[in-house]
Amino acid sequence: MKKQFLNFLTLSALMGTIVLSSCSDDNGGDPIEPPVEQEDRFITVAGALMADNPGDGNGGTMVYSVSIEEAKDPETQISVYTEGFGVKSNRTARLQSSEDGSTLFNIAYTGDNGGEFSKYTVNGGDSFVQSDVSVNISQYAGTSPRWLKLNDGDKTGIALNMANIAANNAPAGNTPDAAFAYYRGVATVLALDLQESLIRSYVQYEIPLTEEEEAEGHTIFRLDGSVLNKAGDKLIIGTWMRKYNVATGETEGDYERLGSKSVVVDYPSFANPSVINSTVGHGDNSGYRSHYSYLGDDGNIYQATERDPAGSYILRINQSNVYDDSYVFSLNHALGLSGVTIEAWQYAQDGKAFALISHDGAENGFVVWMDLDARTASIVDMPYDADLEFNQYQGFVVDGIDVYMAVTPVGKDGNIYILNSNTGVATKGATLVNQPGNHYIGIF
Amino acid sequence: MKTSFTLLFFTLNVLISDLAFSQTGKISGTLTFDDGAPVAYASVFIQSIKKHTLSDERGRYELTDIPFGPYQVNVSSIEIQKHDFSIHIDKTNLKLSTTLKRAEDSELDEVIVEGESHKSEIEATGFAVNVIETKKASLQSLQTNDLLNRSVGVRVRQNGGLGSQVSYNLNGMSGNSVRIFIDGVPISTYGGSFSLNSIPPALIERIEVYKGVIPAHLADDALGGAINVILKKGAMNNLTASLSYGSFNTLQANMSGSFRNSNSGFTVKGSGFYNYSDNDYEVWGKFVRNILPNGRYEYVRAKRFNDAYKSIGANIQVGFTDVKWADQFLIGYNVSDDYNEIQHGTYMTIPYKGRFTESQANVVSVAYSKSNFLTKGLEVNFNGMISDRKEVVNDTVRWNYDWFGEQSIGLNGDPILRPSGAQQGAPTINHINRSISTFRGGAIYDFSEKHRLVFNHMYYTIDRTERDDLKSAIEREFIGTRDLTKNVSALAYEATLFESRFKANLFGKYYQQKIDRMDPILITSNGEQIKGEDRVSSNNSTPGYGLATSYKLKQNLTFLVSAEKAVRMPSENEIFGSPSENIIENINIRPEVSNNLNIGLRSGTYSLNPTNKFSFYVSGFLRDTKDKIVRKINPRLNDAVQTDPFENLGKTKSIGFEGEINYTWKDNLDVLLNFSKFNSVFNIQYDPNGKEYTYYNQQLPNEPFFTINTTVQYAFKNVLQKRSSLNLYYSAGFVDRFYTTWLEIEDFRTPRQFIQDIGMNYIFPNQKLVVSADLRNIFDQQAFDNFAVQKPGRGFYLKVNYTINKF
Repeated sequence: MKKQFLNFLTLSALMGTIVLSSCSDDNGGDPIEPPVEQEDRFITVAGALMADNPGDGNGGTMVYSVSIEEAKDPETQISVYTEGFGVKSNRTARLQSSEDGSTLFNIAYTGDNGGEFSKYTVNGGDSFVQSDVSVNISQYAGTSPRWLKLNDGDKTGIALNMANIAANNAPAGNTPDAAFAYYRGVATVLALDLQESLIRSYVQYEIPLTEEEEAEGHTIFRLDGSVLNKAGDKLIIGTWMRKYNVATGETEGDYERLGSKSVVVDYPSFANPSVINSTVGHGDNSGYRSHYSYLGDDGNIYQATERDPAGSYILRINQSNVYDDSYVFSLNHALGLSGVTIEAWQYAQDGKAFALISHDGAENGFVVWMDLDARTASIVDMPYDADLEFNQYQGFVVDGIDVYMAVTPVGKDGNIYILNSNTGVATKGATLVNQPGNHYIGIF
Repeated sequence: MKTSFTLLFFTLNVLISDLAFSQTGKISGTLTFDDGAPVAYASVFIQSIKKHTLSDERGRYELTDIPFGPYQVNVSSIEIQKHDFSIHIDKTNLKLSTTLKRAEDSELDEVIVEGESHKSEIEATGFAVNVIETKKASLQSLQTNDLLNRSVGVRVRQNGGLGSQVSYNLNGMSGNSVRIFIDGVPISTYGGSFSLNSIPPALIERIEVYKGVIPAHLADDALGGAINVILKKGAMNNLTASLSYGSFNTLQANMSGSFRNSNSGFTVKGSGFYNYSDNDYEVWGKFVRNILPNGRYEYVRAKRFNDAYKSIGANIQVGFTDVKWADQFLIGYNVSDDYNEIQHGTYMTIPYKGRFTESQANVVSVAYSKSNFLTKGLEVNFNGMISDRKEVVNDTVRWNYDWFGEQSIGLNGDPILRPSGAQQGAPTINHINRSISTFRGGAIYDFSEKHRLVFNHMYYTIDRTERDDLKSAIEREFIGTRDLTKNVSALAYEATLFESRFKANLFGKYYQQKIDRMDPILITSNGEQIKGEDRVSSNNSTPGYGLATSYKLKQNLTFLVSAEKAVRMPSENEIFGSPSENIIENINIRPEVSNNLNIGLRSGTYSLNPTNKFSFYVSGFLRDTKDKIVRKINPRLNDAVQTDPFENLGKTKSIGFEGEINYTWKDNLDVLLNFSKFNSVFNIQYDPNGKEYTYYNQQLPNEPFFTINTTVQYAFKNVLQKRSSLNLYYSAGFVDRFYTTWLEIEDFRTPRQFIQDIGMNYIFPNQKLVVSADLRNIFDQQAFDNFAVQKPGRGFYLKVNYTINKF
């Protein structure tokens, strides 16, 4: 699914069946244990129920699993809403899966159990068995936490929170009588041990920007979309920036954005937070409910931007953990469109990736095949319905060169598509039976 | 000698009647006690034709000039238990003899009887209304919300114990579609400190619950129903006081009194209340857990520790009553204050420490009413109130706490900060001040005995300002204001036709609402930035209309139909959005509209035999709501701020039925049983592609759709002492389980509930002192109104009531 998984495949191919008996935390590259026979791996499809409004996805999440063969077969009919299993989350579940697809990880989003991490063993069909032990991260990260599984082989989940953004001279703060200097919140970075179902560690601190930026009212509003670097010693965290009008205290909607920023912290200690800046992109890079930065096969980190005035970019962070501003890949430019936004994306292998985008010229979303090395992009040839939206899309499965994704317009039937990352060609897989107001949000 | 004279007079009268009016008859009757003694000076009254007389010292009476037809005769006196019976006049002289029961505890029963007649009068008007009498219940340690909750078709959902947040569901309609009034004035005039949480039943005369169709005199945009609390007007020259103490350190006291000078009509009425509870009841189960530093759960049984509630209030009215120029003219002052600790948010899984609210209201009022004003049959009334309301929400504690009230410690040994800065959200000490003016004027004109016009107008204006002490000075300066003005006019025509068998009430309403929004903005003037004001106002007006009719099928059986096109005006947030929630304004948003219908059957008292009596009520209802205001969903991720307005998109429908049966055995046993069952369903049929929604016609989540309540009362007379009485009470409430989300999994389903209470009281022979005891939730069951919020377990309460009459 991730790059590490591919490494494993490569290794397997070269060396036959081996057991990786040792694997240091630091290299972060290889999975801790081999996936069991990926031929038999399950493909789990997730769908979001509407609550009050069609497409809001707030009514809860249901899942259903099929074999990889069934997933490829257009004759297979999957109806997650009538045959699936309800995942315990008041609103859309924030799902992740193990690399071999045998385990689903969920953190409930809001509700009485908001912040509760649980594991489900995938047994096929609607059979998902929840493990006995639950762990709740809400005390550290809130009841609607943002979290992702780290690219370290199912070992770690990273949850992030930014709380209580306030001016340095706020009445409740430590220096109420000081002159205004900054707006800052308190960041929480938390590591969840996915295997043991335990909180492993956490830190809480403020993350300053430069004095000039802070004086203008810029601050980090949200953190998400974390990725581990190739050396495994730094965690790169995406940001969602906000600007306050320092004269009124109100948040500004339309303002001149700074270059895209990421927060770099030591791993696994989370110490020494620092901010790196891009001069290429000006958008946010925290993503939304899915990975937004990936470690590429070339050892660089590739990161998408959103809310970028010039449309989404793919940015590159090199192995020195700084932005490589010589790398310029504009989706607007590559596609010849305007207002391109990457809603979600997936790195496949060898610099090839797929992105789910929207742009100014159409109401619906599109699937785009990208070559990160050549900095080219093209819209994948498949049917695009006017009601196709990817804004809540959460999950892809990477299997070799293939990327599996669910394509359903709100309220209409769709299909699993198998995207060949070497050719950019989409092949239609199993039919996803939909219901009015609902949509499928991912494959795990 | 005197007797024979009377007899002669009777005889003469009969002759005259016979000769003069062939289509009218007369009744001559005698009233006796069980033991044969005559009932002297009892009132005999035929309501429908307003004929009235008194019996003489030998128990005889006579009513003449009565047109042929059926009548209900009503006999009352201080010495007897009130008695109603039916007659049919079809001959010139109807002779009757009636046996009556002696009154036991005259004072109390007398008042109760009066109340009940008021109750049945309102309940026969055609509206789907329950009238809740508080007289008996006020002797027990019960809250006003408990009484409402036991009433048919009403579901009260409270977020914990005494003083906690409450919402009301009437026939499947809830939230801001249910409006609450105090004496016909919107309760928001008073605020949280003078609310159904704080006003004790002892200060309430009765509560009228109108479901779906609301009469003209309650002028507000109540889409789904209205609860009108009628405060006690008070028997004159009395003083009552009560004191209750019980579990969870709950103390409740109230006092009320009135004085009237019978010569000048000068009147003073006063009342006061005090409520306090620690609400430190135990909670347990899957929602009560401490989270260990590593995130694992430790399930605990714990006492609530941040849930105290205190409220205090007083009301005084001075003026004149029953004088030549006014039936009442009263100037009043109402002051109330409350303090409310908040233990948790929507769910009790995360306990709070240090979050609380305080509110205060000072209300000055003037009330005037006069019947036969200028001309006979014209009644005018006026109510004016000016209210100054203050509210503070205080939440500054930065750390997480566990259910033992202790700081949660993180993995690295430090206390864990709350994820959003304070217990519920960002730290706040937010002062919200409102000044509210409410003026209500009305006129009732009986232009004949059978026809009546009712006009009512309400003007309501609210100016709100906000100041959060924990925001910086500049932020505080840039908080906007919202001023709302509402005018509701209603005109009703009431007719009583076909020998009073048919009653109709046809009404129209006109709602008008204006909201002014002012947001401070920065404007550049001569190169300098100065503070300016961005003002927008929204005007909304819409008509509504309805009808309530009743038809007496038989003497004892009334058929009721009522319908209304009800509306709810959009709120300020729905119009102007909320910058903090990234909702933009939609000035053109329309009111929500609901077509409401009730069809019911209400019986009088049926006597199976002299000792067994029963009455019943059944009703079916429909609420067809359109243009429901919901927030539009933005499918685009890229918008820098999510900028979606509220829109008129939703449709829901509620269909159901309810019923109530009341059985009495002698004067000892009184059993009341009611139930309500409805389907509140999603009512948008097709999606934009023309496919039918699977939710279409499905039960909406989080609606307690099936409830049963019962109360049983048994009275023993003359226990221990003569003329005393001992009353035993039992009550039980059943709520069926329901899902709280569309995702129908067991984890999101409430348990089925059956909560039972018992109580007793002893009325001392002097009728002044009443001592009562209550055992609530006797089996200490887990009770939930809201998902994952446990209500108090077993509780024991003692109460003393004392009344001085006619000082």
